This record gives sequence, C-alpha cells and structure tokens, in this order.
Amino acid sequence: MKRGDLILIGVVIVAALAFFVPKWLFQNQSENMHNANVYAEISVDGKLFKKVKITKEEQLIPVKTDHGLNVLKVHDGGIEMFDADCPDKVCLSFGFVTRAGDTIVCLPHRVLVELKSESGEESDLDAVVS
Amino acid sequence: MPSSVKLSDTSLKLKKAVIIAIFSAVAVVLGILESLLPTQLIIPGAKLGLANIMVLTCLYFLKGRDAFTLVILKTLLMTLLLGTFSAFLFSFLGALFSFVVMYGLMKIGRGHISLLGISVVGGVAHNIGQLTAAVIVFKTSKIFYYLPPLMLLGVVTGIFIGIAVKYVVASLSKLSIFEPFVPEN
Repeated sequence: MKRGDLILIGVVIVAALAFFVPKWLFQNQSENMHNANVYAEISVDGKLFKKVKITKEEQLIPVKTDHGLNVLKVHDGGIEMFDADCPDKVCLSFGFVTRAGDTIVCLPHRVLVELKSESGEESDLDAVVS
Repeated sequence: MPSSVKLSDTSLKLKKAVIIAIFSAVAVVLGILESLLPTQLIIPGAKLGLANIMVLTCLYFLKGRDAFTLVILKTLLMTLLLGTFSAFLFSFLGALFSFVVMYGLMKIGRGHISLLGISVVGGVAHNIGQLTAAVIVFKTSKIFYYLPPLMLLGVVTGIFIGIAVKYVVASLSKLSIFEPFVPEN
C-alpha cells in the first residue's frame, strides 16, 4: 500500500460521509412526521403506474409490464417487493420500507417505488430537497 | 532480420489474443460464481466485483485497448448468460466508467498509486456508472441515496480485490507466456 492509495481511499470515505450527514439530518426530520399519511408511488419507465395508500391491511399489487412481473406487498404501514421475475433479484433485497423518502428499485424491469407523505408537498422537508 | 522481427511480432499478437480470451473466460466464471453468492443482502445492488480482478490484471500486463476488449467481451458474455438486454445497458455503463477511471489512474499514478488504490476507485466508479444509468432511466436523483453506503462497502471490497490482483499478478509474472508483457518499473 502506497501513500497515494491511502489518499485515494481517504477521499472516497470522506465523500461518502459527506453524503451521509445530510441524510441523517433528513431522516430525523421525517421521523417527526411519521404519522402523516404515507403513500407509495409506483412508476415504470419514469411514468406513473399507480399510487397506493400504505395501510396496515395486507394488499398485493402486481406490476405487470412489457419488462416482466413484479409483485409488491403492502402491510403493517410499509411496503416490500414480494416477488419478481427479474434476472438479478436485487429489488427483493431492498426489504420492507416504511418511511417517506424510501425507495425500492428494480433496474431490469425499470420499476421504481417511492414512498411519499401526503402532507409532504408543502413541508420544509421537500423545500430542502428541491 | 526484418522477417524475424515480424515473426516475433505476430507471436506476441497471438499471445495477447490468447491472454485476452482466457482472461475473459475467467472473468465470466468469476461473475457467475459471484451471482450465486448471496452478497446482495447487505445493501441492494452491492457486489464483490470479482470479475474486476481480471480487468485489473489485464490493465497491468497489456495495453488499455486490450483491457477494453476484455471489458466488452466480459459484459457481453455475462449478459448473454445471466441477464437481459436492458440489464446490459446498466452493467455496460458501470463497466465502462470503471474502466476509464482505472485506465486513467494507471497512466497518471504509476509509481504513486498501487493496484490496491486503483481497485478501490474502480469499484466505486462502477457503482457511480450504474447509478447514473438508473437515474437517467428513472428520471429521479433519489437513487443516489444508495451511493454512500455502496461507496463505503466498495472501499472494503476494493481492498480485497486489490490484494487478490497483487497475488495474481505476482504468480502470472513467473509464467513464460507473460514474460514479454511484464511492465518495467
């Protein structure tokens, strides 16, 4: 290991941490408005496919497109990718997401699930982001 | 005299072609092996990047053009074996960006940066390339949230890949077929 290596690795770690700090602040804020109504925006190829309200009750949402089939499952105030026939199955590893701002992505099928809160449109939270 | 020079020239070219072919085959096998490992569970999209061992080794012994051939061959073969065409675009952008960065560092940093540092930056560049492709497709920059954890993990895997490359390079340098390609430092 040479000095140049250490500098390079240092730069990468610092850059990563610089990304992390605003993310933490952001998460603390969204913790406060956890009670707000959260809904999931499902889009395919960058176009809106469906909006789903996040509920406690279980509901299955099949997303069938030209690319393939993804099945999302809403339950207990969150959503998860339940099943998919994509080749890499990365989307299944996103797990169960509950907070506004969380995402699930299936790259091969171009499916994007974003959690948003109903009141989020006018809040300071989004003003900071945009 | 010129004819003998020409002869060694073609034999060098032949050796090069064989090396690229073997490296691509090994890279594909490593890629398949990796797809069988459940490494995805830590962070979505995280990968060990075992195939990068061969790209880096190729960059060390051969010219940038040859390593580029390897990258294209590897990505094409992997797509045919494992993926779909739309997945090809993502992995190709990642592989291309990673290659350009590693090649640049190899050129600039000879003597200052070892294979370890190049491996780390190459891995991170791969993530950035893929996420950029995802951002273009999904038209949302939210996906970049996954970059910081991927970067931190990329440092760890990059160090291990770099160590592996050092061992591979050291033992390949002893083989006679690689003798004409060992760079002088």
